[in-house]
Amino acid sequence: MLTDQPPPYWHLCWAYDDPAGFMTHAVEFLRGGLAAGERVWFVVSGPAEPIRDQLLGVRDFANALLTGAAQVRSLDGAYTSMAVIDPASQVAAYRRAAREAVADGYTGLRVAADATELVRTAAQRDAFARYEQRVNEMMRTEAFRAMCAYDRSQLGESAVAELACLHPEHNLGQLLFRLYAVPLRRGQAALAGELDPSNHDLFRTALDRADLQPVDDTLVLDANGLRFLDHRALIHLNEYARDRQVTIVLRAARSGVARLAALLDLPDLRVEVAR
Amino acid sequence: MRTGAAAGRTGYLHEALCYGSDEELLAVVVPFLVGGVEANEPTFVALGERTSNLVRAALPADTKVEFLSGGDVYGRPTAAIRMYRQLLADLVADGATQIRIIGEVPPAGLGPTWDWWARYESAINHAYDDWPLWSMCAYDTRTSASGVLADVAATHPCFATVDGRHVPSVDYVAPETFLRQTRPMPPDPMQTVPPLVDLLGPTAAQARAAVHQVGQGGLRDDEFDDFVVAVSETVTNGLRHGRPPVRFRLWAGADRIVATVSDAGPGPLNPYAGLLPSANGAPGGLGLWITHQSCNHVTYHRDDQGFTLRLTAGRPPGV
Repeated sequence: MLTDQPPPYWHLCWAYDDPAGFMTHAVEFLRGGLAAGERVWFVVSGPAEPIRDQLLGVRDFANALLTGAAQVRSLDGAYTSMAVIDPASQVAAYRRAAREAVADGYTGLRVAADATELVRTAAQRDAFARYEQRVNEMMRTEAFRAMCAYDRSQLGESAVAELACLHPEHNLGQLLFRLYAVPLRRGQAALAGELDPSNHDLFRTALDRADLQPVDDTLVLDANGLRFLDHRALIHLNEYARDRQVTIVLRAARSGVARLAALLDLPDLRVEVAR
Repeated sequence: MRTGAAAGRTGYLHEALCYGSDEELLAVVVPFLVGGVEANEPTFVALGERTSNLVRAALPADTKVEFLSGGDVYGRPTAAIRMYRQLLADLVADGATQIRIIGEVPPAGLGPTWDWWARYESAINHAYDDWPLWSMCAYDTRTSASGVLADVAATHPCFATVDGRHVPSVDYVAPETFLRQTRPMPPDPMQTVPPLVDLLGPTAAQARAAVHQVGQGGLRDDEFDDFVVAVSETVTNGLRHGRPPVRFRLWAGADRIVATVSDAGPGPLNPYAGLLPSANGAPGGLGLWITHQSCNHVTYHRDDQGFTLRLTAGRPPGV
């Protein structure tokens, strides 16, 4: 089941255990793109040709594959590095591809990618998680949508969680929080879901990897979708702010967050309650 | 320089004033307050509305006493400690050499929720001892139960008597001892029926979800949200510091929600847990402290099965 907050952009993390099930979801995701006039890429971990042949028999795709509206690519045909990804150059590559799609008359570029092979090691995941957040930011201005798929049966739940929490949407039921870029008028990022001791370590890691850039020494986190956070998460946010010499603003938070913060001595954190 | 009965002392002089009539109350309180004002000491009244009005009417005109709203100060024990510690620190930073306060637990606190006020009365012997405070806690012997008055004697090292003397309480027990005593935890009447939720070894998220599923009933949004915080902190504490199995139970009625969280361990070792934030980062100290400020009643109970913490949001029975 997908998380319940409507995404500001369409950047979906899809953990799968069954490749056939993933194929079904990816096709639906891309079919939506075709209907919206987007160019779509299906990025697969093996050779592209067998999947392309398979898609030729799928409704809506045969013609699109022939015109170039739909393309099947292998990972090395879409990603700049198969080892440890360089977030900046990969974002630049997708930005370029999205702009080319628009220049070619499409409304944008939509990608469904099985990135399992790109995140097998801790170092790969660290870089890829940083890239996920940069992609979130890129989507503020580019006509680009993506489904990042990961084979949970190969990577394990916790490895997928490291990546899923940096998406506006994911299908990991046990993962309680999400941290992702939002339109700048709402803040540098949204913090949504629930934060408690079960995910503090993951939250700390995600916050570091997100590498949020303050504006006027302030980091604004949109807390409108934050259902719960405990005092440890508040204290960590305050410490994060102090270490970076910024003020963190939790904007549009529930009033209980403000009451909890008021009990604690958190000079570098400000809570603005939703009206 | 300390004055009055506290002359020559350091730290906190914590007296009980047990009175049997309004005249007896005023006979002690008026000179206590006037003496503080004459000595240029910050002097406060934190009584309920009726007794505040009595004192106000009895004081000489223009006596510079500050009246705190007793109901707000004494909403929850831990919040009262937090407020007073900040007040005392600020006053001493401003140069006060002694502060005088007359206060009273509100009538609602003398009933079924008295146990956490008894713990308050004990804990403040330690919690306020950093400052030159002389306070009197007023108890009306006409309306206070004998059990309450016994706890008053055990938690106040001194009595201010209606004939103007200051005498030690022979039944006084040091807070580290009093707070470790096993106190009765009579069940909430709602606990006589099976709980709506009974979870063994839940995660904090599962406990929170169960509370949301039961719903807030007649509770205000802020009461319900704070209760969810308390449940989450308490279950987390049980899982982290208790001994398995942790059991979470929940009852709900028209005007309150009651939860118990139990484990097989002995409970917090720190006698001040919940009343004071842990000063040294001791495990769980902040979670229980927050819990005590997020509910309208919190009780501790120890028996041979282990430790049980009960949380009540909304209106506790008898309040």
